[in-house]
Amino acid sequence: MDSLFLPQVARILDVRDETPDTKTFRVVLRDRAAQDGFEFQPGQFVELSVFGYGEAPFCIASSPTRSECLEFTVRRAGQLTDALHRLGPGDEIGLRGPCGNGFDVAAAAGRDLLFVGGGIGLPPLRGLIWNVLDQRERFGHVTILYGARTPADLVYKDELKLWAERSDVEFLVTVDRAAPGWDGIVGMVPVLFDRIELRPSTSLVYVCGPPVMISFVIQDLLMRGFPEEAIISTLERMMQCGVGKCNHCAIGHRYVCRDGPVFSYSQIKELVE
Amino acid sequence: MEPVTAQVIAKDKVGEWIEQLMAEAEVIAPVLAHGGDEVFAAIRSPGQVLWEFTNPLHPPKQFLLPQTDPVVAIRRGSNRYELEAIVDERRRILLNVRSCDVTGLVFLQRMHTADLPDDTYVRRAAAVTVVCLACSQPCPLGFCICSAAGPFAREGYDVQLSDLGDRLLAEVGSERGGELLAAAGGLFRPASPEELARRHELEEQAKQMFGEQTCHFGSAMRRVSTGRVAEDLWARMADWCLECGACNFVCPTCYCFSVKDRHESDGWVRCRTWDSCQYAAFTREASGHNPREERGDRIKRRFFHKVSAQYYQRDGMVGCVGCGRCIEVCLGTTDMPAVVAAIRKGEWHG
Repeated sequence: MDSLFLPQVARILDVRDETPDTKTFRVVLRDRAAQDGFEFQPGQFVELSVFGYGEAPFCIASSPTRSECLEFTVRRAGQLTDALHRLGPGDEIGLRGPCGNGFDVAAAAGRDLLFVGGGIGLPPLRGLIWNVLDQRERFGHVTILYGARTPADLVYKDELKLWAERSDVEFLVTVDRAAPGWDGIVGMVPVLFDRIELRPSTSLVYVCGPPVMISFVIQDLLMRGFPEEAIISTLERMMQCGVGKCNHCAIGHRYVCRDGPVFSYSQIKELVE
Repeated sequence: MEPVTAQVIAKDKVGEWIEQLMAEAEVIAPVLAHGGDEVFAAIRSPGQVLWEFTNPLHPPKQFLLPQTDPVVAIRRGSNRYELEAIVDERRRILLNVRSCDVTGLVFLQRMHTADLPDDTYVRRAAAVTVVCLACSQPCPLGFCICSAAGPFAREGYDVQLSDLGDRLLAEVGSERGGELLAAAGGLFRPASPEELARRHELEEQAKQMFGEQTCHFGSAMRRVSTGRVAEDLWARMADWCLECGACNFVCPTCYCFSVKDRHESDGWVRCRTWDSCQYAAFTREASGHNPREERGDRIKRRFFHKVSAQYYQRDGMVGCVGCGRCIEVCLGTTDMPAVVAAIRKGEWHG
């Protein structure tokens, strides 16, 4: 039996700026065989260590269909993420996981898929999106809706273009507040619902973003006839151990790190503080 | 041959036995500290061991789940890190642990072996021998009988001692306990039927001596598990909570922790450290959002974890062993029996 708390050493391959406070890190495990054997589901997360600062949970933002490296998109929000942002190619970090349940991709086969991302909530969906697009024929209509506060807060700007150009994907983006040079849609994410064909009876909806955004998007979807069990989200909680022991992420007797982070709305409704 | 399940040692031989134990392992027992406090500590001589004591304010969980528990060594080489799990398999004997605390260790063992087993805890605990000293009378604040954690332990001990006057009866609770007595070189002899009968008499007498201190877990469980506690009741209880976390830290079943890196000469040691669900920062997210910003929500959380049917079904026991330590340390009055009474009656008087 190995220690639950022992990370593996990973190396940063490169770092890409996404927004003024958000970067994407491409990372490989130092042990090549471990990297090749690293299996995960989209929606799972890992605990990343910045040595001397501790560790924190980050969703895997890349797809298992692209396993040459792992990607993490991290906003600078505290000591650990600030230290991580100061690291660059060749620097070593710790990686422990994967943790949590992830999205059930097999169960989505044959369904229409609607992705609704808000701000820094796109990274957990991005791994799933590429996973779906890499086996596009297995799924029905694919629609991606993305919103951020301002154009500067949009992450994966190059990939948004790729999604927009694809004929097998419907992609719309909006910002809460426009900025000079923005000629796109302005308004909160639900304004996009009126611009697409919604398919409540055949769709699975994946929603991720700030808690407030998740809440009003789900209410809107319910009003538009989406069943509770077809609305799937990934929850954020203060986490420490990632393995169901430390209790920080407990909601009732459920643990976001073990029972989640992916829950359907019918499950979320049953979670009582 | 029938396995011998109970033996007897004359009290004037106990010192010799403890010396034998000290030769085998580190022996930790209640001792009198400077200033007069009774504490669990490693002993240097058998004479230090207390045989008549209430119960130290800190349970012996600190020896299995240290306040700061090193779990991973992080060594910095030249442009390369090496990580190694820290394993603590020191042979230790916990002597004169009361039944409430033995039951607390049962809880911790269950919790650390459930779902994903916690190797760090399991290996440390496997090297620890537990010798219980049953209670011939309840302690003033104890209500162990309400959670079936005392006055005598039912499980979780290797050896359970009970005081028969001029001798101790030693019940064997595990293979290791049997070996411990067998290795004592004739200091123990098999217990007679009368001595066994006397031990059961002592337990019955002790049960009869429980007084006013009580805790109705059943009805609290029903209300907590079904959300039938008025939100303003939690809020009013919260007015009496100073968020000090003492109830968590002295609790034999509390185990919540945070993870931190501590600087060492050639790198860091990753440690888990006790944390408290009563602190606002316990659930505060990096974004600043806090799902349990209100103190009342945190008290609700503590007692849901302790007495809900949902957790009872998972752990097979309530998260309270009735030791009464939270009553002793709480500067307000939000201890287990008081809160359970408030939940049951739907009233809070502070």
